[in-house]
Amino acid sequence: MKKAPALRSYTLFYLLFLYGPIILLPIFAFNDSRVVAFPLQGFTTSWFSEMVADANLRIAAKNSLIIALSVATLSTVLGIFAARASVRYRFPGKAPLMGLIMLPLVLPEMIVAMALLVVLLSIGIPLSLFTVIIGQVLICTPFAVAILTSAFQSLDKSLEEAALDLGETPWSTFRLIILPLVMPGIMASFLICFTISFDEFIISNFLGSGQPILSVYIFGQFRFPAKVPSMLALGTVLVCFSIILLGFAEYMRRRGIAKAGGKDSGGFL
Amino acid sequence: MTFSDDRPTMIEFKDVHKYYGDYHALRGINGTIKAGEFFSLLGPSGCGKTTLLRTIAGFEDISSGVIMIDGKDMANVAANVRPTNMVFQSYAIFPHMSVEENVGFGLRKDPRSKEDKAKAVAEALEMVGLKGYGKRAAHALSGGQRQRVALARALILKPKVLLLDEPLSALDKKMREHMQVELIKLQRQVGITFILVTHDQEEALVMSDRIAVMFEGEIAQLADPETLYRRPATRKVADFIGTMNFVPAEIVSETGNAVEVDAKGLGRVMLDIAQAPAKTGESPVVGLRPETLTLLYDDQKAPERETEGVIDEVIYFGDMTYYDVYLGGTDVEVRLSMRNVPGRPVLDVGTKVRVAWSPSALVLFR
Repeated sequence: MKKAPALRSYTLFYLLFLYGPIILLPIFAFNDSRVVAFPLQGFTTSWFSEMVADANLRIAAKNSLIIALSVATLSTVLGIFAARASVRYRFPGKAPLMGLIMLPLVLPEMIVAMALLVVLLSIGIPLSLFTVIIGQVLICTPFAVAILTSAFQSLDKSLEEAALDLGETPWSTFRLIILPLVMPGIMASFLICFTISFDEFIISNFLGSGQPILSVYIFGQFRFPAKVPSMLALGTVLVCFSIILLGFAEYMRRRGIAKAGGKDSGGFL
Repeated sequence: MTFSDDRPTMIEFKDVHKYYGDYHALRGINGTIKAGEFFSLLGPSGCGKTTLLRTIAGFEDISSGVIMIDGKDMANVAANVRPTNMVFQSYAIFPHMSVEENVGFGLRKDPRSKEDKAKAVAEALEMVGLKGYGKRAAHALSGGQRQRVALARALILKPKVLLLDEPLSALDKKMREHMQVELIKLQRQVGITFILVTHDQEEALVMSDRIAVMFEGEIAQLADPETLYRRPATRKVADFIGTMNFVPAEIVSETGNAVEVDAKGLGRVMLDIAQAPAKTGESPVVGLRPETLTLLYDDQKAPERETEGVIDEVIYFGDMTYYDVYLGGTDVEVRLSMRNVPGRPVLDVGTKVRVAWSPSALVLFR
């Protein structure tokens, strides 16, 4: 193969630009100085202690977890229904309907958030974590539908018919055959939705009625220079958390494929 | 009387129609399938044979008509409670289960004890020649083994009817021929009605007690293999099953039980009325199978009729040679097959020959 030094340095630069700042995160999180700047001042874990001691942060983290788990579950469940319907059934108006479901993918989130805010206020639903969940489900469901549609598409229709033929009801067929075989897709959908929800800012900010939610809280804390190091510590924790989550999902996905005897194609890692 | 005449009826079709939107997939299917019969639905792709099979299984609703299985109307009877089981073209082996989990899948609601069920699974596996394969992962099996698993999985429920949707089409030729014989043996052993869908006429002839030949959503002929081969009801059926020569003919006279025709290159011949199936309005032709024509040795005399001809083409197959021969100075060409027995030379193109034939082997299409 011909060497292309220009392309190689471009690739290196690209990766450095992408991951360099993230690598700085743990470096400064362990740096013994409130000022985020080189040279480093020495090793400390005090920012992590400060982070853990912050009661508001704990509430924000708890709220964010509640929201992310609810959103991931709801979006994935809705995604299962929509993907199943779009793959298996033909009905009038299917194309425009699926298009409308996928639309929030390209709709400016700001518009969605404002529109929801106006509607919720005018019909008198008080803003809460619940309204944040509703808004984020709207954003996450298209991702779930996209992932799950490909999972359902790769499923041989004969497998369902075989289960029916062997005496199972449509529901037990779904439970015993379809669900296990699309499980890797469900896991992937859940994970993606969880991640999207966890760092979602606009809807959390608009519909959260000032309740502490992690993304909004972090944004707020950056106004105070003294708080920055503990936010970096939090960032470090979140990065580790993401890597563990992703690794686990990929492990589950590969195991699922190996169990079903399929060929591995795609995936995250 | 053939095999099937004295058997009770297992499946009955009464004027079954099926529409997909505007497309008329099944156009008035009538007929019966007998208990314990090996029955084939044969036809080119798109003729409706798979649709018909799926209506029996209950995977497709019918637009009108009646399907009876074992005396019961199947309207509003769901697929999962019909006394039928299916072997799918893709085999549809559950990939996330072991072989024995696949085979035992249909026994989930069976009230028998765990031990009895395990025994039934082992027996079913032994029956299809997969003894000891129970613990294997289903996706680690070869095509032939998958098919056996699919068979065991269906037969373990002792259905009244086993439906087979082109089960051999994914196998290579050797394996296919092997499985044909195994399926016949298996069917005799279990005595269950087998309904096979195939587009392979040879496969249908080899395996079936009776065959329904389908074209464009209709059954063109329903008969045992020999009748189908020797007395095809229409020119289309004759063309689809094996090789058939068609010789233009004119009808000279017709009485109640005989037809006299003048076939181009063959001359006048009296045919029994049984050799002239129902009129379809086509221009008359007589059909002859290649093996009913014989090339005569120089000093040999034809037992019945003979016609002179000239060899136009020689196709050598090893055990057989096919000759294309112009009949009696006309432009009518027929194909005939000769066994390459010792002492019989393979003849050259252009050789003048005498062709022996028998009036009883002719079929008239008109």
